[in-house]
Amino acid sequence: MKISMVIEEKLSVYITKSKKLNPSNFQKKIKIALLSNFTLDGLNETISVKCADIQIGCNAFTGGYNQYNEEILNDKSNLYSFSPDICFLILDTRKILGDLFFSPYNLSVEKRREFIQNKVDELINLVKSFIEKSNSKLAVSNLVVPTSSPYGIIEAKTSYGLQEMVHDFNQKLSNMCKDEDSAYLYDLNGFVARFGQNNVFDYRQYFFGDVKISLNYIPFLANELLGFIKPILGLSKKCIVLDLDNTLWGGIVGEDGFNGIKLGHNDPIGRAFIEFQKYLLSLHERGIILAVNSKNNPEDAMKVIKDHPNMILREEHFACLKINWNDKVTNFYEIAQELNIGLDSMVFLDDDQVNRGFVGTSIPEVLTVELPNDPSLYVPTLTELNDFNVLKITEEDKKRGKMYLQERKRIEFKKNVPNFEEYLKQLNIKVRIKKATDFTIPRISQLTLKTNQFNLTTKRYQEEDVRKFSQDKKKIIGCAQVEDKFGDNGITNVFIIDKENEREWVIDTFLLSCRIIGRGIEHAILSQIFKDAKNEGVKKIKAYFIPSKKNKPAETFLPDFGFRKEDDYWIYDLNNAVKSSNHLMLEVE
Amino acid sequence: MSEKLYNIISKVFSVPITEINDESGPETIESWDSFNGLILVDDIESNFNVKFTVSEITDVKNISDIKRHLKNHGINVDE
Repeated sequence: MKISMVIEEKLSVYITKSKKLNPSNFQKKIKIALLSNFTLDGLNETISVKCADIQIGCNAFTGGYNQYNEEILNDKSNLYSFSPDICFLILDTRKILGDLFFSPYNLSVEKRREFIQNKVDELINLVKSFIEKSNSKLAVSNLVVPTSSPYGIIEAKTSYGLQEMVHDFNQKLSNMCKDEDSAYLYDLNGFVARFGQNNVFDYRQYFFGDVKISLNYIPFLANELLGFIKPILGLSKKCIVLDLDNTLWGGIVGEDGFNGIKLGHNDPIGRAFIEFQKYLLSLHERGIILAVNSKNNPEDAMKVIKDHPNMILREEHFACLKINWNDKVTNFYEIAQELNIGLDSMVFLDDDQVNRGFVGTSIPEVLTVELPNDPSLYVPTLTELNDFNVLKITEEDKKRGKMYLQERKRIEFKKNVPNFEEYLKQLNIKVRIKKATDFTIPRISQLTLKTNQFNLTTKRYQEEDVRKFSQDKKKIIGCAQVEDKFGDNGITNVFIIDKENEREWVIDTFLLSCRIIGRGIEHAILSQIFKDAKNEGVKKIKAYFIPSKKNKPAETFLPDFGFRKEDDYWIYDLNNAVKSSNHLMLEVE
Repeated sequence: MSEKLYNIISKVFSVPITEINDESGPETIESWDSFNGLILVDDIESNFNVKFTVSEITDVKNISDIKRHLKNHGINVDE
């Protein structure tokens, strides 16, 4: 799929397209609710069209005009019978402040503080009430800070003035979202700031129909909200694959030479590339994997990466470097294989249109970004992408870059060990089995949402689900952290067992992150679960393998372990001995 | 030129071009509600590169009113 930057269709185009949609055509589905205190007509249709463009069937519910209080407070409202996956609550400053929007200074400072506190408490209670009554996530907007004040240039000198009031409201709302796992802040104020209040707010449309976000900006708003929808469905991208010449630096190193490429502080083009690299580095630090796919002389290119004084990205930041004269598609498949991640979680950045076309048509799963010709637009192109969002940044995310570096070292080590058994032994693998706790629950949910390959049933669970399971006495839910001599892989396994009855347990979920497949870790963890089952007097373990497009790596796991097939499920008789693994250490916390 | 205008109207209200004439308005076109009315204004403005005032917009009762206002902005769609 291809995307281009910040140019949008008009709202009417989306509305026309939406009439031909059939959300049931798609395998992936999402239910969204839109609540607001002003007119947001057309947003629902635009989101549905944008979802369909990326193969998501979107079913949207729009609350009645300014009915958000009633929808949320009434248990029997249409909102709850619709049962959304995520609810967006988009609020307008004028409506919240009422007359104070124009005449804040009729009240004393104390009264103004009290007013804001009351308003924000009202909203926080509303959010909490929604979270209590529903399994849905909620994204609540902050308020757009007014840019004009009756006090003019002395507004900022005024104690708790109009702008400070709104900032304070926003801060309090944002603090609440830090504590409530299911609540997210949608930065509407940031959105309006980015596009400009004079563009986003159209007085005529406001007077005609209480439209606070003008029709032409509805598609841009829809893009922002899609940033929440994609991670809920596990559609976030994990890896950016980069070209080098004219993508990470200006010019062609093979022709312009080490000293001739543009990557420096003394010309504008060089500065654009430095800024672009800095932004990529910040994504890397947050857990996005970087890789290189470049047609180049490896010596020339590596010399720049290693020695150029102005390079920001160095060898250690790339999980994989394919610098050769092979075609880019072949390189792409090799990168996906080495990193063990799906092509559909990769983004391709290349200045060359021919390369983009070749990769884009040969591997449509890859998100090929239409980089503009002008390198000064590279950073805004990347910041407009809403494909890297996660619902929570876990410790694993922050460490990911380092983990892939360790993996590169592991592969080199493997080449120097005589056989595979010896290699496994020398890895000094330690597996720590952990329970579902406040600390591990976000990661457990994240793994069920993201793991496609080694996953027996591919059941997706949101944090709210995992939290419920952890309190259910009929379920065992846990995860495992894996470490070896090269470093910590973090939590990379999840298992969920249903205690069907005293004699039989059923495996609901068993998955392994792809970066630890093939080290006998899955067998050790399952053996440990079986030992616990035996201790409780359980006779049989039942398991399912639900084939998906991607879970072939898990296909033979059950028979390999010793399960036998009955009908559409697999059975392990616990009268049989349970194998133990002696190449690794296993601890249960 | 009137074809360009009729195309916009046809798309916004999802009605066949053949059913649109000077007398068409909220009375005869069912989907002509206030929100679609705003979308129509927006689409006409960007396609003809004009900007209507609030009173011009409220004054519109049918297609010939739109043509009249376009004419005031120097655009004759019936030519």
